Amino acid sequence: MTDMTTNDMGATASPQDAAVPGGSEEKRLGLWLTLPAQLLVIFIALFPILMQVYISLTDWSPLDGIPWYRAYELWIGLLNYADLANDPRFWSAMWRTCIVMAICVPVQFLLGLGLAILFVDDFPGRRVLYSTILVPMMVVPAVAGYMFFMLFQSGGPVNDILSFFAGRPVTIAWLSDPDLALFATIVSDIWQWTPLMFLILLAGMVSVPQDQQMAAVLLGASWWRRFRTIVLPRMKTIIIIAVAIRVIENFKVFDNFYIMTGGGPGVATETISIYIYKVTQQELIWGYVAAIALAILIVLSVVSALAIKKLRSA
Amino acid sequence: MTEIVMQNLGRDFGDFTALADMDLTIGSGEFVALLGPSGCGKSTTMNMIAGMLDPSHGEIRFDGRNMNGVPMAKRGVGFVFQNYAIFTHMTVRDNLAYGLRAQGVGRAETDRRVGDIAELLQLTPMLERKAAGLSVNILQRLAIGRSAVVEPAIFLLDEPLSNVDAAFRAVMRAELKSLQRQFRQTMVYVTHDQLEAMTMADRIAVMDHGKLLQVGTPLEVYNHPADTFVARFIGAPGMNLLRGTLRGGDTGHTVDLGAAGHCPVPTRQGGEVLFGFRPEQVHPDAAGPLQMTVATVERIGARTILHLAAGEHRAKAVLDSETPVPDQGEPFRFAVTPDDVRLFDPETERAI
Repeated sequence: MTDMTTNDMGATASPQDAAVPGGSEEKRLGLWLTLPAQLLVIFIALFPILMQVYISLTDWSPLDGIPWYRAYELWIGLLNYADLANDPRFWSAMWRTCIVMAICVPVQFLLGLGLAILFVDDFPGRRVLYSTILVPMMVVPAVAGYMFFMLFQSGGPVNDILSFFAGRPVTIAWLSDPDLALFATIVSDIWQWTPLMFLILLAGMVSVPQDQQMAAVLLGASWWRRFRTIVLPRMKTIIIIAVAIRVIENFKVFDNFYIMTGGGPGVATETISIYIYKVTQQELIWGYVAAIALAILIVLSVVSALAIKKLRSA
Repeated sequence: MTEIVMQNLGRDFGDFTALADMDLTIGSGEFVALLGPSGCGKSTTMNMIAGMLDPSHGEIRFDGRNMNGVPMAKRGVGFVFQNYAIFTHMTVRDNLAYGLRAQGVGRAETDRRVGDIAELLQLTPMLERKAAGLSVNILQRLAIGRSAVVEPAIFLLDEPLSNVDAAFRAVMRAELKSLQRQFRQTMVYVTHDQLEAMTMADRIAVMDHGKLLQVGTPLEVYNHPADTFVARFIGAPGMNLLRGTLRGGDTGHTVDLGAAGHCPVPTRQGGEVLFGFRPEQVHPDAAGPLQMTVATVERIGARTILHLAAGEHRAKAVLDSETPVPDQGEPFRFAVTPDDVRLFDPETERAI
């Protein structure tokens, strides 16, 4: 049998098949109809960025008494960017943020994936547990920060539990030791955001076609082989999305860190967001803040672009 | 080559009985079609043979070995899914090699067997292509090849032709039959299409509402349906069934069909019966004992189908297109050879 039909299952309508409605007349009408929405989008997205670029090229501060649109009077060119390149506090905050991310995202991913594997099949009590696991995600981040602030007090529950197992009083100063403080804040982030990872990964896992998994089992595949060769490859897109969301979100961590440690002790838990906050609120050099914000915007844009590129190829 | 024995096999889903007390033996190397409308329990049966579903009661034996509780990976069953369940993120080669790799077959051996099966199924030119973009008929062959390459003792096919167009279906029917002869496996084929079952199967198991109604060769179920369901389901169009009364007489027994007339039958029992005859076995005969009015004439090329009515009776007749037929609304007189008549009990609907 050598005949082949062109009846491709995976084929979708080619762009040519989609009717091109009308000519330029209709296009112009379409433009007019969507113009308000487009202007709104431009205003929301573009205006703040342009304003930031503008401010970042000046030495403007709200204390100077001149309105922002006349900031050109304090024009300093790229001096803010030169300062940024030589600002050790900025770079250490960047580095710290990356460390937090490098720990939080993989741990959240593995925990989320493990939970998704447990929850993909039905078991008694699954629905109740499922809702319970999602609770941390719904807690206001500032409240979560407060909870962990309480938990990690030197007379708090964490030390009490440790004392119980150690058999002697444990009084670790979690939030005033530089290394332990970072650890405690990372724990709070993992607690709060593993559920989101779990939710996204579970949705991806459930959507892996059952019959393909059945087919793999009938062909003699072990659980691990089925997981590795069918489930994971089919979840690739959703994994990229989940990790990208968490990388971007993690880059912006603020609430729980600020409430638990205020970035301290010293600058031990000062992430990039906390650094920006301090420069904005305490030092009031807004031209410099605008430069930092743009630098971060560029970093996150690159991360997003990489993720989107991965998605396209997946 | 494995013999499958199902004994007292049943499956309930809550209050719903998907399959009730099935007894069926499928011989080694035999091609059996499970035929019935959707919801008849044929897929439930198939899934239990494969081990995807546990029976509520009864047992399945492969070559005498009880399979209850044996996980599906260990049953040596090849399964072709209705939608093929091809691993579309892999190449054709990886699909074909999947089972062999899973079973730890060596690389050289895997390559050889994948090469052989690809040759047999004419998949060699597309071995390195991603399965995602392939046409339905290639996916179809790939699905069969992927299961066949591990040489399962039993091959299960779940409506494999329901997704393909009519022309390709005819090609595949012949293809599947010849493949089965080459693989020499025990094949169980689930379908709702009586034509597929008639053309391919060694034996047909007709099912309805979770019950096995009749098992037999295609000609047996066609010529001697065990009950009215089988009579109507097999054949296109199905058997005509007219309600009548059996009367004895000096010249032999006849069935009194009221408005449609009388027809002699070779039987002795009396009372109410369902009088059954195949549309193909209607003989136009101006002096025939039966008369009905032509309601519609359907001309389909080589054949003409007459839709007939007489009082409450409805029937169809299939004639070849050469035969002159009366026009719509005119009476049609015909005979049915007594040996072709099948009688059914109107209460139990079983054959008499």
